[in-house]
Amino acid sequence: MIEAIAAKDYYIATFLLLGIGTYVMIAAGNLVKKVIGMNIFQTGIFLFFIASAYVEGGNPPILTTEGPYVSPLPHVLILTAIVVGVALTAVALGMIVRIYAEYGTLEEDTLQEVRHSE
Amino acid sequence: MNEIPSLRPLAAVLAPAVAVAPILASGARPNLREAWTVLASVLTLGLVASMVPGVLAGDVYVTELGSLVPYVDLALHADALGILFGLLASTLWLATSFYSVGYMRGLGEHSQTRYFAAFAGSVASAVGVAFAANLVVLYLFYELLTVATYPLVAHDETDEARAAGRKYLAYTFGGGVAALAGILLVVHLAGTTTFVAGGMSGLAGADPTLARAAFALLITGFGVKAALMPLHSWLPDAMVAPTPVSGLLHAVAVVKSGVFGIARVLLDVFGVDLVAALGVGTVLAAVAAFTLVVASVIALRQDNLKRRLAFSTVSQLSYIVLGLSVGAAAAPGEATKWALVGGLLHIPAHAFMKLTLFFCAGALHVETHTDDISNMAGIGKRMPLTMGAFAVAAAGMAGIPIVAGFVSKYFLLLGTVTAGDLVFTAALLVSGVLNIAYFWPVVYTAFFESQGDSDEKPLLSGVLGGRFGRAARADGGHHGESDDHGPFERRAPNGAEGSWFVVAPILFAAAGSVVLGVVPDAAVFLQVVREIVAGATAMGVVV
Amino acid sequence: MSDLVPFAVAVPIFGSIVALAAGVFRSKSGWAVAVGASVLQLAVAGTLAASAFGDERISYVVGGFDVPFGIELVVDGLSATVLLLVAGVALGVLAYARRAGPRSNPFYATYLLLVAGLSGMTVTGDLFNMYVFLEITGLAAYALVASGEDGRSPVAALKYLIVGTFGASLFLLGIGYAYIGTGTLNMADLAVKLAESAAVDPTLAQAAFALIVVGLFIKVAVFPLHTWQPDAYAGAPDTVSGLISALVSTVAAYALLRVVYTVFGTGFLESNPVAEAMLVGGAVVSIVVGSLLAVSQSEVKRMLAYSSVSQFGLIVAAVAIGNTTALVGAAIHLVGHAVMKGGLFLTAGLVATETGARTVEEFNGLVDRSPVGAGAFGVLAVSMVGVPPTVGFAGKWYVAVGAAESGAWALLAVIVASTLLTLAYFARLVERMFFREPAPQPAVERAGATTSAEPADAVADGGGGDPRGASLGMYATVVGAAVLAVALGFAAFGYGELLEPTIERLLLSP
Repeated sequence: MIEAIAAKDYYIATFLLLGIGTYVMIAAGNLVKKVIGMNIFQTGIFLFFIASAYVEGGNPPILTTEGPYVSPLPHVLILTAIVVGVALTAVALGMIVRIYAEYGTLEEDTLQEVRHSE
Repeated sequence: MNEIPSLRPLAAVLAPAVAVAPILASGARPNLREAWTVLASVLTLGLVASMVPGVLAGDVYVTELGSLVPYVDLALHADALGILFGLLASTLWLATSFYSVGYMRGLGEHSQTRYFAAFAGSVASAVGVAFAANLVVLYLFYELLTVATYPLVAHDETDEARAAGRKYLAYTFGGGVAALAGILLVVHLAGTTTFVAGGMSGLAGADPTLARAAFALLITGFGVKAALMPLHSWLPDAMVAPTPVSGLLHAVAVVKSGVFGIARVLLDVFGVDLVAALGVGTVLAAVAAFTLVVASVIALRQDNLKRRLAFSTVSQLSYIVLGLSVGAAAAPGEATKWALVGGLLHIPAHAFMKLTLFFCAGALHVETHTDDISNMAGIGKRMPLTMGAFAVAAAGMAGIPIVAGFVSKYFLLLGTVTAGDLVFTAALLVSGVLNIAYFWPVVYTAFFESQGDSDEKPLLSGVLGGRFGRAARADGGHHGESDDHGPFERRAPNGAEGSWFVVAPILFAAAGSVVLGVVPDAAVFLQVVREIVAGATAMGVVV
Repeated sequence: MSDLVPFAVAVPIFGSIVALAAGVFRSKSGWAVAVGASVLQLAVAGTLAASAFGDERISYVVGGFDVPFGIELVVDGLSATVLLLVAGVALGVLAYARRAGPRSNPFYATYLLLVAGLSGMTVTGDLFNMYVFLEITGLAAYALVASGEDGRSPVAALKYLIVGTFGASLFLLGIGYAYIGTGTLNMADLAVKLAESAAVDPTLAQAAFALIVVGLFIKVAVFPLHTWQPDAYAGAPDTVSGLISALVSTVAAYALLRVVYTVFGTGFLESNPVAEAMLVGGAVVSIVVGSLLAVSQSEVKRMLAYSSVSQFGLIVAAVAIGNTTALVGAAIHLVGHAVMKGGLFLTAGLVATETGARTVEEFNGLVDRSPVGAGAFGVLAVSMVGVPPTVGFAGKWYVAVGAAESGAWALLAVIVASTLLTLAYFARLVERMFFREPAPQPAVERAGATTSAEPADAVADGGGGDPRGASLGMYATVVGAAVLAVALGFAAFGYGELLEPTIERLLLSP
C-alpha cells in the first residue's frame, strides 16, 4: 500500500494541488484568494506534465550529457503554459484593481450587496 | 399528366408578397396603399386563373428553384388540388380587399398599414401553401402563414387580443413542431418529401407502426389549423381580430391551409390505398365526426355572433376532413369517389358561405356596433341586403338546396352511405339539424322581432324549445356598450345601409354561394375537384 | 497556397501590435488599423476557403519541423468555414464599433488579438497549440469584457476569467493524458495512435476525452457549465457582446467537433457508450434548461445569453449524432447562430443607444421608437425560432434529419421541441415590441428596478456610446445581419454539398 503510494507520489501531489486549488477558487470569499486558488490549480497541472517526463536515472536532455534523457517536450510545453498562467494572473489582478476602485471592496459577499443596492 | 415548367406558380406567390413593400411604403397615402392591395389581388387572381384551363386539361405547372436542404427541392407546382385552394384564396382575397377598405375605414381603425401589409403577406403564404410541391415547402409557407397572421390577430393591441395572439402562436407553432417531426419521419421512411398523386411509393413498404406515427404527427400538425377537436380552441379566441381577417383567414386561408395539408397527407403523401391499409382513415373520420357534432352544439350557446360563426367553422371544417378520411378509408369504389368529391367541394362551398356570414357580421359591427345576437332584434329592417345575404348563406350552411352547401353535403352523405359508415351519416344529419338550430334564431331575431320585446324575449331559443336565460351571455364576448342599442330604423335596400365597399363584397360572396349551389357543373370548382379525385384514385373521370 | 495559412494568424497579431504602437503617436487611430487588418484577414481567409473547398486539405508546417514533431496548421472545408466566419464577423462588428465604441487603441489591439486567437484555434492541427490559442482567445475576451465603463464589467470579466481558466486547465490536463498515452500532440497522429487500441491504455484515452470535453463544454457554455456566460455577455459593452457571442463559443464548439472527430473519431465513440452519453446528456440538458432560464430573464442581453446556452446544445447534439448530415448541420448552425446571435446582441445595443431600453419590460412599444431595431430584432428572432426559409431552419433541419438517419429518436424529439422552447422566450419580446404601448415613463420606472445597472446614463453603458445616437454603420450592421439570416437559408444547401466531402473524410479518418 505504502509502496504503491510512494511510487505515485508525484501524481498524488498533483491531485492534491488540483483539489486545493479548486476548493480555494470556490470557497474563498476574497477575490485575490480566488486568483491564488487558480494559480495553485494550474501548478498542479504543471507538475503533472513534468512528472510524466521523468525517466528513472535520466539526464537532462542536453547534447553534452549521456543518455537516457528525460523527455524534453513536456518541459517546453509547461514553459509555455507558465507564461500563459502569468499573463492570466496579471489580467485577473488588473480587473481586481478596477473592481476595488469601483466598489471599494474585494470580498465577494460585500460586493454582491453593494451591487444589489445600486 | 404533363409537367410544364412555368414561372406562374412562383409569380402567383410573389405578387402578393412583393406588394407588402409598396404597401408599407405608402402608409401615408391610404388611397395609393389600397390601390396596391387591389392591384396585387387582381394580379394574383389573374395568374392563378390563367393556369386553370391547363390544369383542367391535366397539366401541372412546375417552378423549380434548386434545392433548399437535403431531400427538399425548393419547388412549386400547381396541380389540381393546389389550384383548388389557390383559386379560392385569390378570388376571395379580391372581394376581401374591397371589404377591408370599407370595414377598416368605416371603423377608423389604427395601424391600417400594418394590417394591409400583413394581409398581403398572409395571402402570399396561403398561395404558397397551395402550390407547395413537397412537404417542407408546404411547412415553410404554413409557418410563414402563422407569422404573417399573428399581427392581424393581435391587431387590437388589447389584453384580450394579445392573449389570443399568444394562444394562436402557441397552438400553431406547436402544431408546426408536430408536423416537422412527422415530416422528418416521412424522410426517414420514404427518403423523399415530394408529393406524388396517389402516395409516395417509399411509404408503402415502411414499418406500419412508424408510418402510423408519421401520419398521426402530420395530422396533429395540420389539424391545429384545421381546428380538429381538441386542437380548436385558438380559433374562437382569434375572433378578436378585425372581421375581414376572421372572414378570409379564419374561415378560408388559414384554417383551410390546415385542411389542405390534411388533404395532401391523405392523397399525395400516403395515398388512399395506404391510408386504408393502415386503418388510420377511420380514426381520423371518427375524430372529425366528433368535432362536427360537438362544435355545432357549442355554437348553439354562443351569443356573440362571431364566436358562433367560429364554432360553426370548426364544425364545417370537420365536414371536409370527414369526407377526405371516409373516402380514403373506404374500399376503392363509388364510396371513395363520392366522399372525396364531397369533402373537397366543401372547401370552396364553405369558403363562400362562411365568408358571406362573416362579412355580414362585420357590416353589422361597422354600421350599428352590434356584436351580440341578443341585441339584433329587428336589425333586418336596418340592413335588409346584409341580413338577406346572411339568411341565404345560413341556409346553405344547413344544407338547404340551391345553395352551395347542399351539393357538397349531398356528396358527403352519398359517400358515407355507400361506404356503409352509417354512424358518420347520422353525425352529418344531426349536425345539419343543429346548423339550422343555431342559424335560424339569428335570422328570426333580425327579421321577425323588434327591439321592443327584447326584455321579455329569451336570449337564445333552444333547439328543442328550451330557453337559455341571461347567463348564456357570459359565453359571448362582452362589450361594454352592448346595452344601448335603440330600435333599428328601417332603411331601403338601395345602399343606404352601408358603404358599397362593404355591401358589394357581401353580395358577391352570397352570389358565389348560390352559383355553386345551382350550377355546380358550370362553376369551375367542381371540375377541379373531379380532376383531383381522378388523379388521387387513378380511376379516371368520376361522378 | 499553403504558405498563406500562417498569415491567417499572423495578420491580426501584427495588426494588434501596430494598433498599440500607433496609439503612441495618435490616439483613436486603432479603428483604422483594425479595419485594415480585418480586410486583409478576410482576403486571406477567402483565398484559403476558395481552394480548401476544392482541394483535399491545405497543410503548413511551422518552422520546418516535420510532422508529427512540429506544429502543423491545417485548413480544410470545415476550418475554412469558421475562418471565414471569424474574419467576416470581425469586420462587420467593426462597422458597428466605429460609433458605439469603445474607441481606445488598446481596445482595438485586444480586439485583433482575439481575432488572432480564434483564427489560431481554427487552423491549428496540434492539440497543445490549440490550448495556447484557446488561452490567447480567453485572455483577449476577458480583457474585452472588462472594457465596459461601469462596475459590472470587471466583475463579470473576473468571473469569466476564473471559470474560463478552469475550463482551459481541464483541457490542458486532458491533453496531458492523451500525450502520456500516445507520445504525440499532432491531431492526425494522435488519431492514428488512438485507433491502434492495443497500444493505448483505454482508461487513459477515456480520461483524456472526458477532461477535454468537459473543458470545452465550459468554453462553449453548455449547461451546467455556462455560469460565466450571462454575466459576461450582459456586462460587456454592446460591441463586445456582439463579437464574443458570435465567435468565442462558436470557435470553442468547432474545437469540440474537431477534437471529437479528428482526434478520437467515430470508433472511439462507438466503443465508449459513456462518452457518447456525455455528449447527448450535455446537449439535451442544455437545450431544455437554457431555454427555460431564458424565459425567466428580465434583461434582454441576459435572455440572449441563455438562448446561446440552448442553441449550442443543438450543436453538441449534432456532434453526438455524428453522421454526415448532422455535422454539416452543425457547421451551418455554427455560422447561422453566429450571424443571428451576434446580430441580436448588436440590435439590442442599437436599441439601447436609441432609446435606453435594456430590459424586457422597456421593449414595450419599441416599434414606434426604434423601427429599424424592432424590425431587425423581429426578423432575427423569427430566424432563431427556426421558421423556414431562414438559416435557423436550415441548421435545425440538417441536424434533425441527421438524428432521424441515425435513429436517435429521443434526441430528435428534443431538437424538434426546441423550436417551441425558443419561441417561448422570443414571442413575448416580439409581442411587447409590436403590440404594446410603451410604458408611460420608462426612465422613472427603471430607477426603481434593482437589476439595471446605471439607469441615468444607460446610453453611456455602451462604453463610450455617443450621445449623438446611432450611426449609419450601426444600422447597416444590424440590417445586414437580419438580411443575412434569411439569405443564408437559401445558400445552405449549396454550402452543405460543398462541405460534405470534408465531413466524410473527417468521419473516415482513423
